[in-house]
Amino acid sequence: MIKFSNVSLIYPNSQQTVIEDLSFTVSEGELVLVMGATGIGKSSVLRLINGLVPHHTGGILAGDISVNGISTHSVKPGGLAHLIGIVGQNPLHGFVTDTVEEELAFGMETLNMPSDLMRKRVEEILDLLSLAPLRNRTIATLSGGEQQRVAIGSALVMHPKVLVLDEPTSALDPIAAEEVLSILHRLVHDLGLTVIISEHKLERVIQFADRIIHIQGDGHTRIGTPQEIFADSDLAPPIIHLARAMQLSEIPLTVRDMRRMTKAKRMELVDDSALAPIENPKTEPLVNLKHVTITYGKKNAISDISLSISSGEIVAVMGRNGAGKSSLLRTIVGASRVDKGEVLVAQRNPFLLQGRERTELIGYIPQEPSDLLYRQSVADECSQADQDNHVVAGTTLTLLHKLVPGISSHTHPRDLSEGQRLGLALCVVLSGSPQILVLDEPTRGLDYSAKKTLVSLLREIAINQNRAVIVATHDVELVAEVATRVVFIAEGEIVADGSVAQVLLSSPAFAPQVAKVMSPSPWITINDVIEAMKRNQ
Amino acid sequence: MNRSLHPLVWWIWAGAMATAVAMTSSISIAIAVVGVTAIVVRNKAEVTPWAASFSWSLKMGLWVIAIRVLTGVLIGVPMPGRKILTLPIIPLPHWMAGIRIGGPVTLERLTSTAHDGIMIASIIALLGAAASLSSPHRLLRSMPVMVYEFGVSVVIATSILPQFVTSISRIKQAQRLRGHENTGLLSWRRIALPLFEETLSRSLDLAAAMDSRGYGFTRKRSKYRKDRWTSKDYLLCGIAVASLVKPEFLVLVAAVSTLAVAP
Repeated sequence: MIKFSNVSLIYPNSQQTVIEDLSFTVSEGELVLVMGATGIGKSSVLRLINGLVPHHTGGILAGDISVNGISTHSVKPGGLAHLIGIVGQNPLHGFVTDTVEEELAFGMETLNMPSDLMRKRVEEILDLLSLAPLRNRTIATLSGGEQQRVAIGSALVMHPKVLVLDEPTSALDPIAAEEVLSILHRLVHDLGLTVIISEHKLERVIQFADRIIHIQGDGHTRIGTPQEIFADSDLAPPIIHLARAMQLSEIPLTVRDMRRMTKAKRMELVDDSALAPIENPKTEPLVNLKHVTITYGKKNAISDISLSISSGEIVAVMGRNGAGKSSLLRTIVGASRVDKGEVLVAQRNPFLLQGRERTELIGYIPQEPSDLLYRQSVADECSQADQDNHVVAGTTLTLLHKLVPGISSHTHPRDLSEGQRLGLALCVVLSGSPQILVLDEPTRGLDYSAKKTLVSLLREIAINQNRAVIVATHDVELVAEVATRVVFIAEGEIVADGSVAQVLLSSPAFAPQVAKVMSPSPWITINDVIEAMKRNQ
Repeated sequence: MNRSLHPLVWWIWAGAMATAVAMTSSISIAIAVVGVTAIVVRNKAEVTPWAASFSWSLKMGLWVIAIRVLTGVLIGVPMPGRKILTLPIIPLPHWMAGIRIGGPVTLERLTSTAHDGIMIASIIALLGAAASLSSPHRLLRSMPVMVYEFGVSVVIATSILPQFVTSISRIKQAQRLRGHENTGLLSWRRIALPLFEETLSRSLDLAAAMDSRGYGFTRKRSKYRKDRWTSKDYLLCGIAVASLVKPEFLVLVAAVSTLAVAP
């Protein structure tokens, strides 16, 4: 169906090839996962398939790519629209019209299909993706998962033979991600659709993948079945690392496989419940919310939340898309005015803080870290931060080199990879040495190694420097690794507040992979399991 | 959006009402009609990015009145009547004879320019109401295919505009939280840069998405759903057009009955 023969790609004004001599074929009805570190060229590979690269981006392409026998050299992306459906990283950026039904019809209209055929196909897709109740809704008002489904629907409505998805679940909560992936799984099995997907959160997708293309950087790629790739790949989901730690001979791809393989071993590992219970911090709480309510229009974004957070804690705020996580964070950092109740950060109203007073108390990384950045180079950005925070010149840059080694100080912040950009924003904020650090969805688009760096940094800040960290995230694996406490929000209310194990284990959807495998033992990270094995020996 | 109405209805209605108001040339009728229209918009407009058009058009109307009065008083031919105050006359070169800046300001001059300003403002407000009440996207779809190509670009622009506004406030807020106060020219630069970059990357994303969905690949395009005229559409247009017969008596009646008729 898709054939890459000796494909190499280099972008203009760049010295390094993105891909070198890549050859593979994907046959009909396969689901292929493209994986690799951030900024390594996964999106480029996906966009090569329908010719968006290089027709849209420029760059030199050597070798040949053909889809269903049509070479992308000879045809522009529009000419492959009936054959390939492509769903971009952020579906909201790709929507052309404003309501669901019209969006579904847009592609068919451009290809001049007769209107009765369009009506039929739109109905089909509405049913297939369970979008019927949303047909007249304005797309901007839909939740993330619903938007992703509309984007997939508007690609599928053209009856393509190939569906290409760039990180379809990275912005979604675990439940919405499951919805989207199970639909893809069904499409592959029922319609024989060929699917190419890229994803950072491998634990969500490897069980569906027939084959994996691992882009390793420096132009190297590996292609193989999940078993072949994960036999030795460093880039692997927690379940694989757990299997390695437990020295299993086989490679498990699903929790079910893993439980089957480890049945005996799990029996040996007695649950000694050595997990220390959370001690209630005796210090004065740093953040104090009393009966806070925030309303947007008629809806309560947050209703009657009371919460206190002390220094030394790493609090994860979890919940589904639109549950009020961001609103809660914005209240704490003083970005939104409180309608009812009171917010105090170190006994002060965060809404009124300004300038240096603010930066030494609260550090905030918004969902788009680039919102904070506006200078022309990394070095400029760092010296600006030094100046703003009245610290010795060079402090921020030194911090950055420690956190993200190998970053060139002349690079424009836009040209950094997602992880590097987050690192820069973090350093800019941290150079003010704030008492509390608040991060909104920091792991969207981060690979495992960048996440590891983030985890150790957050630990350092909270435990060694005794400050408070608040993270809103969908990433259960990150929460399991780093958090000391989880606050679970639904519909603007706190529904659970407790230790990580308590909260995560009580919800099957939000339980990390390790916990699912080791259940009923209350271990949530690989380290927990390793410790337990040591104790057992 | 009022799905049951044809997208053209509100525009025909606003056009006819505006003409009628202009024909009456009466400030009180104009203000009354705009008032009733405000109630119509308040009741009927839905939460859409373009729903704010009416309030924007009102603001624009106020500016028009202000500018009209100011220029009318300052520049132009003097009008005889009761003098209120005298401004110093700015001397102009002799080849600009007949034009005068400054000079005596009469009550007649003031009222006549204010009258003009209010009439223009109310026409703008009526058209603004039409823009709030009907989706530009649906309007464009009812246009002939010739205009459509141009139309699609307008649709994209209008759907990006609200996004633009939210981006500005988001970036502004993030900067404030970095400890920068947003005052002065420097802060504008701080906001403009990330905003510009974001808008650019968004439009590239959109262009790529449209390209891969076959946009512009064939010259002909079909329409998913045609809008049809219903009796209610005819009734609304009819009311507005009928008021043209004797605007002095009918235009306000038309405006009030619109309240009852509109779904």
